[in-house]
Amino acid sequence: MKTDVRLSPGPAKRTKRMLAGVVFAVMGRGLVACARLDGRVRVEAGSWPEGTAITLAISPGSPRVTVRKQNGRIHTLGSRTDVPSTLLVTFKGVDSALPVLLGMKGILEAFAEHRATVKGDLGIAMSLVRCLHIVEGYLYPDIMTRRILPRPAVREAGHLRAYAGLLGTAANLGEKGAGL
Amino acid sequence: MIPAYYEFSNHAKVLSGENAVENIAYELKVLEAAHPIVVTNRQLRDLGLVDIVLRALADGGIDVCAIYDAVPVDSSVDVVNDLAKTFRKTGCDAIIAVGGGSVLDTAKGANIVLTTGSTDIKEFMGSEVITARAMVPFIAVPTTAGTGSEVTGAAVIKDTERHVKMGFVSYLLLPDVAVLDPRMTEGLPPRLTASTGLDALTHAVEAFSCRQANPLSDGYARAAIDLIREYLVKTLEDGQDRTARLAMANAAMLAGVSFSNAMVGIVHAIGHACGGQCSVAHGDAMGILLPYGMEYNMDVAGERYGELLLHLKGAEVYASTPAAERPRVAVEAVRELLGDAARRAGMPMRLSQVGVTEADLPAIAATAINDGAMSLNPKDADISDILGILRAAL
Ligand SMILES: [Fe+2]
Repeated sequence: MKTDVRLSPGPAKRTKRMLAGVVFAVMGRGLVACARLDGRVRVEAGSWPEGTAITLAISPGSPRVTVRKQNGRIHTLGSRTDVPSTLLVTFKGVDSALPVLLGMKGILEAFAEHRATVKGDLGIAMSLVRCLHIVEGYLYPDIMTRRILPRPAVREAGHLRAYAGLLGTAANLGEKGAGL
Repeated sequence: MIPAYYEFSNHAKVLSGENAVENIAYELKVLEAAHPIVVTNRQLRDLGLVDIVLRALADGGIDVCAIYDAVPVDSSVDVVNDLAKTFRKTGCDAIIAVGGGSVLDTAKGANIVLTTGSTDIKEFMGSEVITARAMVPFIAVPTTAGTGSEVTGAAVIKDTERHVKMGFVSYLLLPDVAVLDPRMTEGLPPRLTASTGLDALTHAVEAFSCRQANPLSDGYARAAIDLIREYLVKTLEDGQDRTARLAMANAAMLAGVSFSNAMVGIVHAIGHACGGQCSVAHGDAMGILLPYGMEYNMDVAGERYGELLLHLKGAEVYASTPAAERPRVAVEAVRELLGDAARRAGMPMRLSQVGVTEADLPAIAATAINDGAMSLNPKDADISDILGILRAAL
């Protein structure tokens, strides 16, 4: 009798995970860029304790991104796993995460649907959600943000500057981080 | 209304009625426990409420292995760890918590420490983080009719070192058994009866109207409000009316099931902050803020409030009120109930009556915006919106 019934994830799941990994990376860089470009995110991140390490991840396994506050600056650590998270938001599966990551479902709606667990200080989680709403405002056009944000997106910097900042983050800010 | 997806759990067995406490011994046997620790506070011991439980356990052939009566008004990490230590040292195998919110929260915190074997409860701070095959058997005997903590999967515990309140949310925190015995609440003075009753009402109204509401949580909220409409004033008129006391204990429990699954909203977020910043009693803040919170949410949740008019005022008023008027009349009904509680029990109706001043408002608003309850409020709110609610209620 065959007792080993483990199945490895099919190609569709693997593709979804890869996609989630890409969006996580963009979100991490988006947070760093917004901490530099947007006064509201700067204030939010300024209130986080030094050493705060926020991770967005999918259970089980790999796709994840961590941003850390060090010397008053926000850095992205990409998918590194060697830094312990002080706040860990874990989606229960890739199918729970993707609609949120692709801007099809609001973050608060996702929490209401128990799509993710939150390990750590719920007050900082609230601050993170406000930051992610602002990042989503830059990443997505109004036609999308109207459905997923609790109120119309307000952008302190233009889309283009934000994308430039985001690319700049990718190119230059990985090590230096965004000043607060 | 049917959400695209929702989750619901209420696995607490409810014992409700005259002498329900007498059946705790049997429930311990079902849970295969024989040596419970009784967790409570000194005041409840002095009032003789703990003796009712101890006598019932002795009659049922249960040896209580320890009584822990050092729970303070605000549950803290130190007390949780101390309780867990006493539990281990004395070889207990179950927890019976007799008290209000802080006693039950302390018991929930100790259960996390005991079940996981962890020495640092902070590890489990957050939402849906705890994993366990089975928790320590846990029986809750509430002595107020308000918090609903006997059927909720949430606990708030103070970190005395960092001076912050830590939130724990998990279905695993639900007690195994909730015991509603009118003897436990009949001695509650009118003022406390009123404020805890209005807390229960706020749980039901917020759970019914917030983002995570679902058909199951809705049913519990409606049933809770029906009982509050009929019995809250009766308990204020005659505290010894055991039927009314039992009904209000049930209302608090039903509202607890509802908000444990649907969560609460802006009234709780601001109320928690009023407690933290200005030491406003939770139930007082709820009574004062509920109508203002409803008015703020009106453009988004008005239809839901309109549905609640049926329960707040009964079928005749609901049927004779045009649909468009129902949301506004529902808020009026809440104000009427608060007015009744103010006349009969001296409940405050404004924040200035409980020591809040204009100068306190910015700090309250800044704290409220980071409260987890804000995330599921039906309508988004920023600092200026919260300040608006606070000023209106001052
Ligand atoms: Fe409450």
